[in-house]
Amino acid sequence: MYGARGADVGGMTLQEVRLCGLLLREHFGEVVEKVGKHLLRSGALNLRTIINETGLPLDLVKKCLCVLVQHGACVFSSGRKGPGSPTEYLTSCNRILRILRYPRYIYTAKTLYGDTGELIIEELLQRGHMTMSSTVKTVADRLTQNMEEGRSMEYSEVSSAFSNLVETHFLQRCPPQPGAGGKDKTTAAPTDNPATPAAPAKTTPQTAESFPDCYKVPHMTLSGRGKRQLSTEEGEDQRNAKKPRLDTATHGDEGIYWQVNYERFHLHFRDQAIISAVANKLDQTSSEIVRTMLRMSEVTTSPTAHCTKPLSSNEIFRSLPSSYNIARPILDQYLTLLVDDPMEFVGKAGESGGGMYVVNLHRALANLARATLESVVQERFGSRSARIFRLLLRKRHLEQKQVEDFAMIPAKEAKDMLYTLLSENLVQLQEIPKTPDYAPSRTFYLYTVNQLPTARMLLQNCHKTVANLIERRLFETKESKRLLEKSQRIEAILASLQASGAEPEQLQEVEEMITAPEKQQLDSLKLHINKLDSAENQVDETIFLLESYITGTASST
Amino acid sequence: MAGRGRGRRMMSFSVDAVGINRGDTLPPTIQQPTPAYPAMENKPLPLAAGEEAEYMLALKQEFRGAMRSLPCFIQPAAPHRDVERYSDKYHSSEPTDSLITWTPDWRSLPRELRVARLPRRDGVSVSRSVPSGQIRQVKEKEEILLKLESLEQKEQQGSSEEEEGEEKKKQEEEEAEGEEEYDEEEFGEETDYIMSYFDNGEEFGGDSDENMDEAVY
Repeated sequence: MYGARGADVGGMTLQEVRLCGLLLREHFGEVVEKVGKHLLRSGALNLRTIINETGLPLDLVKKCLCVLVQHGACVFSSGRKGPGSPTEYLTSCNRILRILRYPRYIYTAKTLYGDTGELIIEELLQRGHMTMSSTVKTVADRLTQNMEEGRSMEYSEVSSAFSNLVETHFLQRCPPQPGAGGKDKTTAAPTDNPATPAAPAKTTPQTAESFPDCYKVPHMTLSGRGKRQLSTEEGEDQRNAKKPRLDTATHGDEGIYWQVNYERFHLHFRDQAIISAVANKLDQTSSEIVRTMLRMSEVTTSPTAHCTKPLSSNEIFRSLPSSYNIARPILDQYLTLLVDDPMEFVGKAGESGGGMYVVNLHRALANLARATLESVVQERFGSRSARIFRLLLRKRHLEQKQVEDFAMIPAKEAKDMLYTLLSENLVQLQEIPKTPDYAPSRTFYLYTVNQLPTARMLLQNCHKTVANLIERRLFETKESKRLLEKSQRIEAILASLQASGAEPEQLQEVEEMITAPEKQQLDSLKLHINKLDSAENQVDETIFLLESYITGTASST
Repeated sequence: MAGRGRGRRMMSFSVDAVGINRGDTLPPTIQQPTPAYPAMENKPLPLAAGEEAEYMLALKQEFRGAMRSLPCFIQPAAPHRDVERYSDKYHSSEPTDSLITWTPDWRSLPRELRVARLPRRDGVSVSRSVPSGQIRQVKEKEEILLKLESLEQKEQQGSSEEEEGEEKKKQEEEEAEGEEEYDEEEFGEETDYIMSYFDNGEEFGGDSDENMDEAVY
């Protein structure tokens, strides 16, 4: 995930840094934004340098670093100059950009493990990392809060949901950090990677999966039920629900912290994308077959694999869900259709066992990314430009004349479209000289599209888009700040009046404190903000596809 | 680039190959940056609607709101106002206790980040940091204990000073009421008069009912 340090710092685009700054600001405040952005731009820094360069007071910087480390956005390691040099802190864009995807993680947990799973993931995302016992207690309390009077949630039920999430690897233990407090800096050496004598000592942060106990549920002594908060005041109610437990009871799992395993969610999203693409392109039954194949391969396929392990047609037949009553020869026909489809979702790997089949994960992702690029061109420039774009993707290099002929578009319009695409850098010109002197009259000029760099460029556009959406939302909120505050005050007054049992006339009087045009303004503001937020969610889906494709391709080349 | 124009109408690449024929009108040259919000020929598609999208929208907004009330949301230090304003009393409505209750597990953080008590959300800090370093291994503990004690005392003074600053008016009222219970010293009222000299006349006539032997003047 981290790669060489140089690539991390150099590889962060301006738009990524800007977007990360905004996400930090919205979720952790402006001070953390300042420290985080500085770290993103400068690479690894020690505490003293951060303080000097940001101009913030020592304690604020320390607090920010604690928050960033707590949420996994920042890692620390002993300095590059060998033991004894000050600790260095390093932030990475990737982890902060995940914040955009939090709603999707929470929603997925809900679909897989119900409300309990949803709240567990939500709590862990909010807090960064927590012990199992505190998570269980907090979630049980929250669930109890929403239950009917007199009912409460058993801790054991929440614990079992937690265990399920760990078993399926959606949750993992936080890796112990080398160089952390409580250990001498010199003893951190064994966990560092040994470096060549010439190079400075580099410490690669340990990934959670490099520890064997990563998915081991600790033995906990925890029994009881969730507690309902007595609602004295409305504000206090919410505050109490958010306050972490202050009781000092220990449950045998101190020091074992859990975090959300994003990569596992990403695998799930990838599978979902493939299944729904098959459903859209072919039909429901084909998608069920692919879903079955992916389910069978969950544990046997590594996250970076090109394709699943080969599955025989017999095995697939046996594993199909019982609601799908298709005959064996029909299954074979479906599989053949899937293999023949140009999207190449499924490939044939052999003839034994009635035919060995694999799901082509990387190929499927590449095709999904390609479809995304084509769709972008189509929506921005029209379907004929999209035709040209698709043509160039498939045929690689074409001359001006060939484009006109293959795309069946008159010359003048084809020219216009090509130049527009060229100016947007979606299409590139390549020169092939006929003679060594590169004379223009004797050179081929070929139009070409390269999928990977184009995908990178679009990804950067997506980051810029989301950053613009956030800025616009902040602007709209700021513009109507006074009105929003007024409306909040009136709501608070209404709530307290209702709680103390007021007359309908009184309530109406208070409601009328907001005039009709103001109400209109508030409604329109709410609509805008919802649209902007929704758009952010939607752009993140595209970001996910493009990112998966780019990392998948980059790791295989 | 090859073919840097000899004449006025030479272009740096062969016009034929790229498809511009003689007599074709070229698009006008660009004289200024493209407009910031150009008119779009193709309008974008509407946003995805549906239950899932709405639920995720609600999740997103709730998450953002929840993060604001958590201790990890750090407000910048409140700017110093030259004059205390009436509205200040009503502006700071957020609870500050949630931060104080958050202590991270210091074992998983580097030593140098250790803060004995995390500062309040408004950035006003009354914390002290434990010095790190392998140099003072021998005398470390003793020195730290001494330092801690002295800092603790300073801190208590410091925090009490702050509280006074915020609730000055309230405290003065309380002080006025409870004056008789306080030490009758000069500090009580910041006046030049020594309280013990002042006889406020309450004891006058208190004995008269019991002792009838003495004459009343």
